[in-house]
Amino acid sequence: MSGSRMKKQGFLFLFMTLLLLLPLGIRAKAETFDRNHYIYDYAEVLTDQEVAELQALSSKLGEERDTAFIIITVNGTDGKEIKQYVEDFYDEHAPGYDQPHGNTAILTIDLQGRDVYLAGFKKAEQYLDDGRMDSIRDNITPDLSAGNYFQAFSAFLNTSHEYMGYEPGDGSEESKGYDPGGGTGEYTGNDPGGGPGEYMGYEPSGDPENILFKWWFQFIAAITVAGVIVAIMVFRSGGRVTVNAQTYIDSNQSKVISQSDNFVRQTVTKQRKPSNNNTHTGGGGSGGGITSGGHSHSGSSGKF
Amino acid sequence: MILQYKCPSCGSDMSFNPESGELSCQSCGKHENIENYPEELRTASFSEDEANEYHCENCGAVLITTAETAATSCGFCGAGVVIADRLSGHLAPQKVIPFTISKEEAIKAFQKWCRKGLLTPKGFMTADRIKSITGMYIPFWLFDLNSKVQVDAECTKVRTYTQGDYIYTETKYYDAFRDINLEYIKVPVDASEKMNDELMDKLEPYPYDQLKDFKTPYLAGYIAEKYNYTDEELLPRAKDKISGYIESYISSTLTGYHSVNYKNKHIDTRNVNSDYVLLPVWMVSYDYNHSEYTFVMNGQTGKIVGKPPISTGKVATWFSGIAAGTFLALKCVSYLMGGGFW
Repeated sequence: MSGSRMKKQGFLFLFMTLLLLLPLGIRAKAETFDRNHYIYDYAEVLTDQEVAELQALSSKLGEERDTAFIIITVNGTDGKEIKQYVEDFYDEHAPGYDQPHGNTAILTIDLQGRDVYLAGFKKAEQYLDDGRMDSIRDNITPDLSAGNYFQAFSAFLNTSHEYMGYEPGDGSEESKGYDPGGGTGEYTGNDPGGGPGEYMGYEPSGDPENILFKWWFQFIAAITVAGVIVAIMVFRSGGRVTVNAQTYIDSNQSKVISQSDNFVRQTVTKQRKPSNNNTHTGGGGSGGGITSGGHSHSGSSGKF
Repeated sequence: MILQYKCPSCGSDMSFNPESGELSCQSCGKHENIENYPEELRTASFSEDEANEYHCENCGAVLITTAETAATSCGFCGAGVVIADRLSGHLAPQKVIPFTISKEEAIKAFQKWCRKGLLTPKGFMTADRIKSITGMYIPFWLFDLNSKVQVDAECTKVRTYTQGDYIYTETKYYDAFRDINLEYIKVPVDASEKMNDELMDKLEPYPYDQLKDFKTPYLAGYIAEKYNYTDEELLPRAKDKISGYIESYISSTLTGYHSVNYKNKHIDTRNVNSDYVLLPVWMVSYDYNHSEYTFVMNGQTGKIVGKPPISTGKVATWFSGIAAGTFLALKCVSYLMGGGFW
């Protein structure tokens, strides 16, 4: 009798222990989350070698920006919105470059829903605001759609790294540069109510896509300027023409003898004023937000 | 027939002196005013076969000349010689602008110009290899041209304004007509076959207030040529030279429009008068690096044209300097705009 009781107790003990250990085990898993591991290829779209390469690239670029660049591929998000999934991932695993819940940029793709979501936390939230995230997403979406995941992920790492090299812009202005439908330049900006610089058609400062910031543009511009100046110098070295239309004209005798300017007809065309509300908020898809753990972030979501 | 100018005092050869503008004698320093010199060439005529070979009156040597040469120096004794029958009758120039820059001044001016060259090689800048410098009177035709221009054009004025939610673009069409009379005076076109037209065009302008009635003594000591082309042959080139000026005059009468579309443009240019003149040019030939470079200098204004040798090293230096400077400047601009330096 006592033997069987002992047996039962033993089972109960084992069961209880297991029950007790279970949450511990999960917690232990959370605690041991490797913050130096950046590639989570749950959907297994990458080869081992590609994972290793991306991991190396991510840790190298991340180090320069003090930011963890994380890539997650999943096959279904347990019914969650992809944004929710990413927020939970951040809350739960507390990634970050040098501390839990630190600077993090996350690219998540869900193969089932064919959703892509980019999120920036802390420093990455500031530097990779919604506008820049949209820009990155626009960059990599074609590759994602084509199934070139490795290229898309590399591009994400490189572009994010590059953009984080530019001072963060003012978020509200930022999106103007990406206004897809706006007839930039058409609208002359004599809007009485609009704040100064609200819609002047110029690229806002800190816009990483500003061509002036591209080293290749600066390089080409410098070469062109030098080429033109030296060409003019060579051309002029042989002397140049110093006579003009005024040199030989007899201005006393030269004149318009008769003239007429007759109005013939007129045409009027009209065109709707480009709207001041920028259209991107609806198109690009909800930007950032705040996780249930209270971490605010920037973001950009879309399909691929 | 050839003309030579002997000093009335000592019998030496006289030549034109650019500084004083008179005939001067190198030996005794006597000056003779040219303006009062009798000139009978315009009416004189020589039969074609009278002289195909000319002899220097000093030494009797045969003067070797090309068919165009009108003034030269005797190759043996150096005396200035004017071949009169190449400057008489219809070949007689109406006017001449005498040299005001002497040979020494021309050399100095040329050396100064060489030193200023930003792209010329170092060895060239010292300008110590002037092979020869020759004062030449180049035959020019000065055209007085009259252009009658009639233009029809469809012009538009565009106005945009905003009303409500719309931007309105209002385009008004006008029929514009202009009847223009244009006079261009003394447009120079060089009548020498040898001279590069492009170089000659760059030598302009010549100061026409220095135009003098032609007298052969102005040519003494210089080389001169008779024209190769008649004014009729050169009229198209003269028209071509002013066509750009006419176009710009036409467009200057059609201001205030946003667009001008010419429907009809009638330009009739006529030669009102053409004068045969001789204009002074210093020809400098220069040896550098086994090749010869030719420069021409306006004998009145001192303006120099001609392709100097270009040092690739200097071009490269300038190019890289400017490129690096611009690159740095752009980097700074991008940095100031918040784009980061690298």
